[in-house]
Amino acid sequence: MTRISLKIVGASGQGINSIGEIVAKGLKRAGYCVFGYREYPSLIKGGHASYQLDCSNDRVRSAETKVNAVMALNHHGLEHNLADVKESGVLIHLTPEWKFSPEDQKLLRSRKSTVIAIPLEEILKRLGAKPILGNVLLAAFLWAALGQDKDELKALVGERFAKKKNLLELNMKCIEEGFSYTDPAAGRVSVTLPSSDPVWKDHLLVTGSQAMGLGAMHAGVRLYAGYPMTPSSPLLSFIADLQNQTGMVLKQAEDEITAAQIVTGAMFMGARALTATSGGGFDLMSETLSLNGILENPTVFVLAQRPGPATGLPTWTAQGDLLMAIHTAHGEFARCVLAVSDSQDAFDLMPVAFNLAEEFQISVIVLTDKQVAEALYTQTPFDQTKVKVERGKLVTDPAALKELKGTDRYDPNVKDGISLRWLPGSNAATYCAQGDEHNADGTVDETAKNAKEQMEKRMRKLESLKQALPEPELWKIENGKGRITNESPLLDCLIVGWGSSKDTVLDALADEKFGGKRIGYLHFTYLWPLKTERLQALAKKAKKIILVEQNYQGQLGVLIRQECGLEINEKILKYDGRPFFVDELIELIRAKLSFPTID
Amino acid sequence: MPISLDTAGSGPSMKDYHCQTQCTWCDACGDYGVWTAIKRALVELKLAPWQVLLCYDVGCHGNMSDKLLGYRAHGLHGRVLPFAAGAKLANMQVPVIAFGGDGASFSEGVGHLVHAIRSNYPITFILHNNANYGLTLGQASALTRQEQPMNASPNGIPEHTLRSMEFVFALEPTFVARGFTGNIPQLTEIFKAAILHQRCGFAFVDVLQACPTYNHFATHEYLLARCFDANAEGHDPSDLHRAHAIAVDTSRRISTGILYKREDVPSFYDRLVPRKDVTTTCVEEVGMKDVSALWGDLV
Repeated sequence: MTRISLKIVGASGQGINSIGEIVAKGLKRAGYCVFGYREYPSLIKGGHASYQLDCSNDRVRSAETKVNAVMALNHHGLEHNLADVKESGVLIHLTPEWKFSPEDQKLLRSRKSTVIAIPLEEILKRLGAKPILGNVLLAAFLWAALGQDKDELKALVGERFAKKKNLLELNMKCIEEGFSYTDPAAGRVSVTLPSSDPVWKDHLLVTGSQAMGLGAMHAGVRLYAGYPMTPSSPLLSFIADLQNQTGMVLKQAEDEITAAQIVTGAMFMGARALTATSGGGFDLMSETLSLNGILENPTVFVLAQRPGPATGLPTWTAQGDLLMAIHTAHGEFARCVLAVSDSQDAFDLMPVAFNLAEEFQISVIVLTDKQVAEALYTQTPFDQTKVKVERGKLVTDPAALKELKGTDRYDPNVKDGISLRWLPGSNAATYCAQGDEHNADGTVDETAKNAKEQMEKRMRKLESLKQALPEPELWKIENGKGRITNESPLLDCLIVGWGSSKDTVLDALADEKFGGKRIGYLHFTYLWPLKTERLQALAKKAKKIILVEQNYQGQLGVLIRQECGLEINEKILKYDGRPFFVDELIELIRAKLSFPTID
Repeated sequence: MPISLDTAGSGPSMKDYHCQTQCTWCDACGDYGVWTAIKRALVELKLAPWQVLLCYDVGCHGNMSDKLLGYRAHGLHGRVLPFAAGAKLANMQVPVIAFGGDGASFSEGVGHLVHAIRSNYPITFILHNNANYGLTLGQASALTRQEQPMNASPNGIPEHTLRSMEFVFALEPTFVARGFTGNIPQLTEIFKAAILHQRCGFAFVDVLQACPTYNHFATHEYLLARCFDANAEGHDPSDLHRAHAIAVDTSRRISTGILYKREDVPSFYDRLVPRKDVTTTCVEEVGMKDVSALWGDLV
């Protein structure tokens, strides 16, 4: 598989995202799979930011550390990212009079880099265009370098500026200028793409946050409450921006406790409601999580991870909150923790999460991270026939409601621990959703017998849930393509992971360097309660097991050992806020594989 | 969206709200008065237990949650308002009444009170105000008199007492009432008006009540001697200036009744542009939705 990559760098707020988005959409429409990766500081303006596009005619779902072309919008980017250009790559900058240091010159020469200077300011001045239009001009330059059709770009920019007709003409002029610009010294440059594949044309370009928002709306979420916190904020914004089309109730709450309580109240009433936050906000929600445990109230919380502790690295990524999601909040109660890995999961798992919450009358915590939340995926249009609404033991039939007794609500004798549930406003016997230990109808009852019965009732749900959840998925890579298999093959290496690192692992394993090796990737989507049977079976037939996670402790490894005693000694762990890059991960796995195996 | 009130039928009786669990409050606790008046108000509004949601905070008052029928929720300390607001926004047809004490409402949950009033959520909030933390054995709340020795503050509290009505009026409320648990008929009328105000927005009801065990200052007798019915004396609830004046000045006499009310400010829900002209509730709208029209721009 041939993949090429472009990286636009500059200051936050300079417009690197719009260049990235225009080029990404254009490439996708031209028949390429695109993966967009953003890095930015926790600042509105300034600092160093980048937007990287990795693309191919085959599936791409990760970024590389080195790119075919860097476009630097400021001096800092030029100096900082100069070394990111691959051999025979292109470095584009906007300062024709720039003097490279001797070291930089040496590096550029040794890498055979082509350096292009675009006198952007001068061109814009000549056109009478504001600096913001420079983004379109630069996108057009990249477009030409990629050997793409000018009219396609014009159509795309036309759509983007459909509401700003007065700017359209100037935008078109900028496209012409950008498209035809030739550096007097370097001449025309080209970044050669592999041949296109029309299969990608009808795909969507979505961020994980957009996919998750669509998934939530698809699941029937009608109320969203949230407090802004990166990287959960893009979900809040996406749902908010669509509210006039969806008719949803939206509340930007005064804090995360409020958001969690609003959602708890709305779900108790019988709606489907959602909140999302990041680690610190989730800490604040934890008492409410505990409340939902005893009320047996279905709820769904999205926890978008970033590196902590405390404010940590607000705009970077991590998988460091797995154990927190499983253990946070006081008391013992049943909950479900699952993790999305990309835009597909982000959409598909939202209806699943709501169904699990309602069927088991528990809280479901959906883990995502900054990488999924903000990366741009080339996504097959979502299949909306996969999941139906499942509301478990919810009673709505008027005749059945009449038969209910208040003591049905928390009946401790139900075998699976899941008792009947009915909604306020139903013409039926009433009950109390009681935060104190209570007996069957929610009356406070502190007797030892009752406390034991109710605890056992609630915890039985964890067993029922564990039985209902799927085992982890095994991906096998054959001829550079990954597929899910139900087999239990002999493996040279079994890689175990969860969350967004899946996509980089799969891209890495597709590399020809692993040709001939029997390597499997076992992906845990459902992390609590943890099912380990399949893992144990595969582990027995694998020469080596490697844990891949983006946290310091190897948290899934800790959990696996806790649940089944299996110790995974080989670990590839990353905790610097950056996601795994595909070339980096290839080398890390290769290094592990060259170790002698212990039979 | 209006609350569905079946005013034509014969309606429920007090017995319908009766529950087997016996009351556990101290003898002469003001909670008995709120307990009696709320049932009376619901019955007089012809609301059956299954038609209402009663949400309780944590404190002595929260022990009411299993001393009457109705759909009830007994949640976390300080958090009753956002819970109740979420429930109401999900189903605008159900009257939602939140109960909380002065301890939680003016300390741990004070942020929620601020935003509930400014949001004008269409719910009723009944403040059990006995000016201390009763259930945790008599610590000072933000509304306890500063010089009053309490559990954990034998010298009185260093902080000054929070002027609750000044605070509430600063948040531009749409309904403010004050009642006294010694006057159950008046309290019933206040509760009824406060429940009906859910059609317009947030109703704040300050209920002065004795804590016979821990509040040795504002005793039942103290309140009995000072409370007067402002409406009976001709107070016009639409007069903001006067309402504010009689609400904050409790130095000689304590005004009770409906102190302030306006119905021309839309509630939080009525301000939601996406819900304009929507006749269903979020609860009724649960179901898988086709969202393909929403991803058109992403192709």
